[in-house]
Amino acid sequence: MTAGSDLIERATLIAPNSVYPPWINRFGRWICWVGGLILFGWMCHNLDLRLDVLARGFTKLGVLTKAMFPPFANGGELRIVQSLLDTFAMAVSGTVLGIIVALPLGIIGAKTVIRNPVIHFAVRRTLDILRGVPVLVWALVMISAFGLGPIAGVIALALADFPHLSKQFAEAIENSDTRPSQGILASGGNRIEAMRLGLLPQVVPVMASQSLYTLESNFRNAAILGVVGAGGIGFELEERIRIFAFDQVAWIVVAYVLSVTLLDWLSSQVRARLV
Amino acid sequence: MLELVNVTKTYGQAIAVNGVSLSIPAGSMVGILGRSGAGKSTLLRMINRLAEPTSGDVLWQGKSVLHLRGSTLRAWRARCGMMFQQFNLSPRLDVLTNVLVGSVSRRPTLQTLIKYFPAEERARAILELHALDMADLALQRAGTLSGGQQQRVAIARTMMQLPDLVLADEPIASLDPANAETVMSALSSISQERGITVLVNLHSLDIARTYCPRIIGMAKGKVVFDGSPDQLDAAMVEKIYGRRKSTESALAPAVSTTLSSIPTGEVA
Amino acid sequence: MSKSVDPTTNSDRSSWRLEQIVDHFEAERSRNLRRGRLQQLFQILVVTLLLGGAFQASGLFSSYLGDGALGRIGNFLSRLLPQLHHDRLFEDRATSGSLLYWFYDLDLWLKLLAETVQIAIVATVLGAIFALPLSFLAARNLAPAVWVYWTVRRISELVRTLPDIILALILVAAFGLGPIPGVIALTLGTTASLTKLFAEANEAADMHQLEAVQSAGGNWWQQLRFGLMPQVLPNLASYSLLRLEINVGGAAALGIVGAGGIGVELSRAITFTEFDTYFAVLIMIVGLIFVLDLTSEAIRDRLTGLEKGA
Ligand SMILES: Nc1ncnc2c1ncn2[C@@H]1O[C@H](COP(=O)(O)OP(=O)(O)OP(=O)(O)O)[C@@H](O)[C@H]1O
Ligand SMILES: [Mg+2]
Repeated sequence: MTAGSDLIERATLIAPNSVYPPWINRFGRWICWVGGLILFGWMCHNLDLRLDVLARGFTKLGVLTKAMFPPFANGGELRIVQSLLDTFAMAVSGTVLGIIVALPLGIIGAKTVIRNPVIHFAVRRTLDILRGVPVLVWALVMISAFGLGPIAGVIALALADFPHLSKQFAEAIENSDTRPSQGILASGGNRIEAMRLGLLPQVVPVMASQSLYTLESNFRNAAILGVVGAGGIGFELEERIRIFAFDQVAWIVVAYVLSVTLLDWLSSQVRARLV
Repeated sequence: MLELVNVTKTYGQAIAVNGVSLSIPAGSMVGILGRSGAGKSTLLRMINRLAEPTSGDVLWQGKSVLHLRGSTLRAWRARCGMMFQQFNLSPRLDVLTNVLVGSVSRRPTLQTLIKYFPAEERARAILELHALDMADLALQRAGTLSGGQQQRVAIARTMMQLPDLVLADEPIASLDPANAETVMSALSSISQERGITVLVNLHSLDIARTYCPRIIGMAKGKVVFDGSPDQLDAAMVEKIYGRRKSTESALAPAVSTTLSSIPTGEVA
Repeated sequence: MSKSVDPTTNSDRSSWRLEQIVDHFEAERSRNLRRGRLQQLFQILVVTLLLGGAFQASGLFSSYLGDGALGRIGNFLSRLLPQLHHDRLFEDRATSGSLLYWFYDLDLWLKLLAETVQIAIVATVLGAIFALPLSFLAARNLAPAVWVYWTVRRISELVRTLPDIILALILVAAFGLGPIPGVIALTLGTTASLTKLFAEANEAADMHQLEAVQSAGGNWWQQLRFGLMPQVLPNLASYSLLRLEINVGGAAALGIVGAGGIGVELSRAITFTEFDTYFAVLIMIVGLIFVLDLTSEAIRDRLTGLEKGA
């Protein structure tokens, strides 16, 4: 003990603040943690996240899960597969539509193409704002505009995608190497030729890869649009949940997960070839 | 006394260390020389069990350290301080905490996880830093220090372990000459004043001659020289470092492989 | 994709003369070119078929959009916009044409907006807490065994294939309407995606720093605490913030299936065809997400900037 206090005494002479740090260094972190914890507890309280409520819910969830096994389609296999295909079709159409809108916007939004900072800023900021709208929110509007059915879903998907895609396209163009284009201009080519031969070979693989990512996410999104009335697998699922047919729900979920996995795998194969 | 008895380490087909037997009295300072790939690092790492010997035995004060497990193994690792070429500090932690890491093995785990270290340990860390002229940087982030300063922090961390043995793996290979001198003389005084055994891997003959009363030379996993600096003559140096391969014979196969790989080397 | 070079043919070829090598190279090249063209043709065919089928199935070009389509959209858009009168803009909520008349239930909407944010925060915090230990198991360099790594990775992929909304739909059946199923659905999704992102950050960490703690006698936890966490923490924080942004959008949408938050009001407005109300709520959601994005982006830039500085 004396050896210890001797150490402390000598070290305190050398660097007092390191041996006994000021209280703010010692307790500041703890105060932050406790404050955060209280805030978190307050939020849980506001959301009614109580243990007894959770316990009751999980018990019921257990019952529902038990009802899921074994998964059973009740003769609806064909219809479910058909609706999966519909959902996929919705995803593809929405993605293509989104790409068509995003291409010109991406080019306009690229700093290196349109040098005017005002246009650039306006386009980017508008896209930033639009990016905040969740796809389901678009879908609600579109369904009231176009009525129930996949067309509303397709447009909602495109609306939700094009701001993201435009931004990614613009970044792809900005990040591309300008030397090939400059070389073509220098050797007498015009601007179109410079774009075709200098820019396109660089950006097309990147854009294609981003479009494939969008397709993957759209397959998931298209599935949830069915819930609000755009048809497809989401509609089938919602219907089965409403009548508490959880064995059929399980069948649909398994079929859905398998097809998502398949699509993701295919898309990753193609993407690996692209870049 | 540290003893290595016929220690061998193989990685698949490759033999990294091949039947090395050494005995190193407590408090001595030993420099280990050898070409890249001679097995120097592997040798040191087997002593504190970061690598497991394939065969042979490592003894400390007559007792084998190879059967140690769990907390006794960690205690043994703490008794062997290790230093690295790239210092391996946590750049985002401050210097003091980096040094205090040397004390974790004797502290309760939970206390260390919330970075609680009692005043006595902090004082010890400050004194170790002070001995290396680093006490005023104690609260600075380690990543902002120069290489030489970082290696001194690493020495302080090692000393914080209260080691019987220091294993230094090329501690000066990425330092400029002045910093190299500082670090080597610090290691030298650790050995002389505190009676700690120091094993240091080196690439520089001159440094080894200046600071190490005993030098071990390794080649292809084997000890090919073991003696004092004045026994290390030109012939011995050639035995350790080998003859440089002729440029022609080294280049010819490389060219043919490159060409033959063109048609098949499809990269999509 | 690169194919591994067959060692036997390789050693044969080393005895080739240069002309032979060049000839071989040319032949290979033209073969590749031909194969490439065929492949391209095939790909174009497949994509065309796919697109045709997709457009057909989704009814994008089908006639039912009809003549009235443009009119209908116009009509709809006009109903989306509120009736505002410039001279009565700042009157109270009883006066038609004022801003407050448009935002007639502002207090409730603000409350629901706050609930949405809280759902997102609680789910993100819980998700990050669960993801941290899982990410050690899901990192190749830290996992205690290959099968552990493999299992955790596969499970997190599986959960990620299920959208939050679908999880919420099932959970609403168990927990009833309200924010709880929303919190649980988002927590699940967040845990799965953060496990993957955290694990990737862990895999990129410098293992030498862990080894240094190990060589000082530190146990597994101490190695993580002093070797790993200082390296990855800024990245983990940045990923969590990114996920928080996503979760606010997710929480806003979850209300549509009855899982709490502002979305409830959106679907109510649609059901009662109060399109101007829908628009008002939408503006609030978009504004919230926009502001949040900006703040979180600034914080994330600072976090990653710190990383570069060190
Ligand atoms: N983890 C490992 N896996 C496979 N082989 C290894 C491993 N560690 C070392 N080796 C091999 O063992 C041999 C000795 O390596 P070691 O690192 O001990 O050499 P060294 O003398 O320290 O070289 P250097 O001066 O370059 O650090 C080398 O051939 C190396 O390739
Ligand atoms: Mg080495």
